[in-house]
Amino acid sequence: MFELLFRYAPGIYARGHLVLLGSWPVWRLGVLILISAAGLGWLLRGRWNRRHAGVWALQTAMVALLLLLLWQPALSLAELQPRQNIIAVLVDDSHSMAQTDGGAKSREAAAQAALQASLLPGLEQRFQTRLYSMDRGATRLASPAQLRPDATSTRIGDSLRQVLDDTADLPLGAIVVLSDGADTSGGPGAAGSGIDRDTIAALRARRVPVHTVGFGAATPARDAALDDVQMETRALTKSRVPALVSFHQHGFAGQRTQLTLRAGSQLLASQNVTFGPDDVIQTAQLMFNAGDAGLKTLQFALAPVAGETNPANNNIPRLLNVRSDPKRVLYIEGEPRWEYKFIRRAESFDPQVQLVSMVRATENKIYRQGISDPSELAGGFPSRAEDLFRYQALIIGSVEAAYFSPVQQDLITQFADRRGGGILFLGGDASLADGGWGDSSMAPLLPVTLPAHKGTFVRADLSRQAIDQPRGQAYTALAPAGGDSIITRLVDDPAANAKKWHTLPWLMDYQDAGVPKPGAAVLANVLVNGRTLPLLTTESYGRGRTAVLATSGTWRWQMMLPYGDPSHDLFWQQLVRWLAAGSPGQLTAAVPQPILYDQSQVHLSVELRDSQYLPAANQAVAARVLEPNGQSLRVPLRPSPSAPGQFSADFTAAQPGVYLADVSAAGGAHDAVAFQRLDGVAESFHSGLDADLLQRLADQTGGSYWRPDQLAQLERQIPYSNAGITLRDNLPLWNLPIVFLLLLALPIAEWFLRRKWGVV
Amino acid sequence: MKLRFLLPSAVVLAVALQSGGPGLAQGYQFGRQFGYQRYAPVTVNERAEFAWSRLQYDPAVGSSGGGYGYYGFRRGRRGLWSTDYPKADRTFLDALKRLTRVNARSYEQVVNLDNDDVYNYPFLYAVQVQSWTFTPPQAAKLRDYLLKGGFLMVDDFHGTEDWDNFLAGMRLVFPHRAIEDLPDNDEIFHVLYNLDDKFQVPGEQYVNTGRTYEKDGYVPKWRAIRDDQGRVMVAICHNMHLGDAWEWADSPQYPEKFAGMAFRIGVNYVMYSMTH
Repeated sequence: MFELLFRYAPGIYARGHLVLLGSWPVWRLGVLILISAAGLGWLLRGRWNRRHAGVWALQTAMVALLLLLLWQPALSLAELQPRQNIIAVLVDDSHSMAQTDGGAKSREAAAQAALQASLLPGLEQRFQTRLYSMDRGATRLASPAQLRPDATSTRIGDSLRQVLDDTADLPLGAIVVLSDGADTSGGPGAAGSGIDRDTIAALRARRVPVHTVGFGAATPARDAALDDVQMETRALTKSRVPALVSFHQHGFAGQRTQLTLRAGSQLLASQNVTFGPDDVIQTAQLMFNAGDAGLKTLQFALAPVAGETNPANNNIPRLLNVRSDPKRVLYIEGEPRWEYKFIRRAESFDPQVQLVSMVRATENKIYRQGISDPSELAGGFPSRAEDLFRYQALIIGSVEAAYFSPVQQDLITQFADRRGGGILFLGGDASLADGGWGDSSMAPLLPVTLPAHKGTFVRADLSRQAIDQPRGQAYTALAPAGGDSIITRLVDDPAANAKKWHTLPWLMDYQDAGVPKPGAAVLANVLVNGRTLPLLTTESYGRGRTAVLATSGTWRWQMMLPYGDPSHDLFWQQLVRWLAAGSPGQLTAAVPQPILYDQSQVHLSVELRDSQYLPAANQAVAARVLEPNGQSLRVPLRPSPSAPGQFSADFTAAQPGVYLADVSAAGGAHDAVAFQRLDGVAESFHSGLDADLLQRLADQTGGSYWRPDQLAQLERQIPYSNAGITLRDNLPLWNLPIVFLLLLALPIAEWFLRRKWGVV
Repeated sequence: MKLRFLLPSAVVLAVALQSGGPGLAQGYQFGRQFGYQRYAPVTVNERAEFAWSRLQYDPAVGSSGGGYGYYGFRRGRRGLWSTDYPKADRTFLDALKRLTRVNARSYEQVVNLDNDDVYNYPFLYAVQVQSWTFTPPQAAKLRDYLLKGGFLMVDDFHGTEDWDNFLAGMRLVFPHRAIEDLPDNDEIFHVLYNLDDKFQVPGEQYVNTGRTYEKDGYVPKWRAIRDDQGRVMVAICHNMHLGDAWEWADSPQYPEKFAGMAFRIGVNYVMYSMTH
């Protein structure tokens, strides 16, 4: 329709700009239009109303249009010189192109047919053409008949870059991409993320338009697929690890299947899932035990459903580095309290946590437990960064804020902010608002805004009357955010877990912790006397994390629940592990993606800090990379010239398999990071037509996206390009069908209105 | 075995009541002489972190009355469990509050094993435990209480026969768990005060007799039953009478060194129970 009225395709208008070819100056056109409008208005003087204004507008538009045509409007755009430019045609030959989408022909066969029938012959009449197959890179082909849809990956960006390099010294006029858009650059979880910026920038720099032609159906007829798995890549031994699995399906709405997690042949977790509506992404949380120390390859799988066309996309692997180095947690308590005892008891069953505690037993004695040597904490709470930052987490009990010196207060803040540790504040007589924390320099650490008043700590009433009618006691309830948290997961089943929290024995005390700050998450609440108060609130702070547990009475769970009930110990172990496990060491190594899908280049980055967790620049850092074949490779890391303490290295993962990079600094700090190169897997995911990606690629480069049945239009549009060797061409606009229509429509409209209004 | 136990006990009780045996009679006079105030019933509902809870247990059939405390109840369920009650408890609590940062309630809490209230009080103190016994549910509850993290301190029983009788009750709770002598270097003796040089703490009968022992309990025994992690969960103070030492600590006649040692032991045990 557009071309019927405007004669040229929208893409041509997008690439050109309007010019007036008439010899008279343009300003005269404007003046004449204004004079005409004024003259017509003068003729209607004294009779101005809404109807006359309408007539005046139509007459003015008519005159303006006629005047414009006298100035000879045209579309100016660059046109490729015949026979002097190269058109690169890239055809996706990955495995996904072999799909038939329920039809008789595969996507690849359709592309081949289109090429051979019209596109290539048409282009070859006017341009030199280069045909490439496109998978991991671009490979030059002599004929479309050489295309075989058997490649294990599709990397559109890399292929385009390769074509640009291949034609660096040649007049490349345009690129045509025939593909289903199932790009595998970022792996299964990164589908639709688009072509990398560098490639787009390189195309724009050469002004090469990329025209894309999409083949295939957007959704397979009947398929279920995993989309992504989000989980930590490191865990402590025996810890419970949550994994958020997202998946979708088409054609199986309402059916059930099983989601499983295995490490080798060992089943770690499973969950029955019911499919929702077609093409809607669903999520499920799997909770599993990390088990013993070591590097583990986990396989998340959705059991194939009967009639599924592509079961290969039902599996996603993940690596989990289970570490056995214990975390050291410092717990300072202002007075002997039962909570202190029961926290210690709970943590005594966790071999991954060393709880070092100090309790102010008397005014003159601090009793220490869990110390590694007699000198540890001998001087009381640490006053030096290197002493405090030895710990991964800090628990502050019933200790008034003023107990800490200004230096210690700053250290506590830096413990979370700079060191990246976790801090837990407990309720108590001298805690939170009652301990003056709201007015201290450490108030920003808290994930809550404390009440302005004191007297917020309330102990349970143990009188006979209160015991017999415990309606006034403090019960607990899981908050919505707590349903997804590993800290508050006492039972694997979410519904049973929420019920468990409702049925826990009432707390021996509670404290009004105030209002959660923006960004904080309330995981559990206290229900008392008709009020709901935050019990456990967490947030990220700087590089670390903080939490407030507004009670010191969870020990009553341990005493009141049946012997052997794990709720109390499990809660504390999970809370303390959450506090400590995320605390980085002095050296942290990372790779952008733990799974390298069809990719061999690895960028290893390292952040190194000294004992005060300030960036450490002057140290040699190297990695020993253990390859899948058992050999090790030494990779020195280069320091960043602009960011102290940052190091990086690039190396090639030559073969598929699991790699372990053990990075160490000259000062002794070390860390290990694992990654896996996985070839030929990503192609099975998101194998439907990704028209969005192809459309974006075309839009970003000045090209157009086409369907296979529009190839004739593509052929007409390709010559109009700013790349290569071009000639400036002016396409006349005076003879557009829309112009003639307007010349007829304007007087007819005026006549019609005059008839209707009776102003003829 | 029962008869052997019952007969001497009955005889001792009869003699004591009829003739005012030296210990009881003098103890009574000793208390009366210095005019301790009676303790009014507690009317204030004081809420604190620590409550000194005294175990009210059923006396074994035929167990003797006795004990040297002035304020103890001695009838029915108000039996030997209440020896030195409540003055010993409250005097000790005064000391605990003065000497430590423990937020302790000013008065004691009496608990029994017939309901779940005991779980609200993770520290238990029991005296004259040679006279205790438990029904199976009570024994199960005490076992449950201790294994969950409760702490029991027993005091004021003396000599071989008392030990046997104590053990008979204890074996209802833990039939097979070992009872061991606590070495001087055990943490319970160092958690606050260093108690390397412990000595026998006598009851207030010492004021009149000069004897630090009762019956054939010549040597003080510091014993314990531990949990699976090696923590003391039952602290056994055999052949000593700490409760009397607390009760009479404000008496000029009762030697300070005994009261001081008793306080230190009690404070250490409380501190240990709150930290282990």
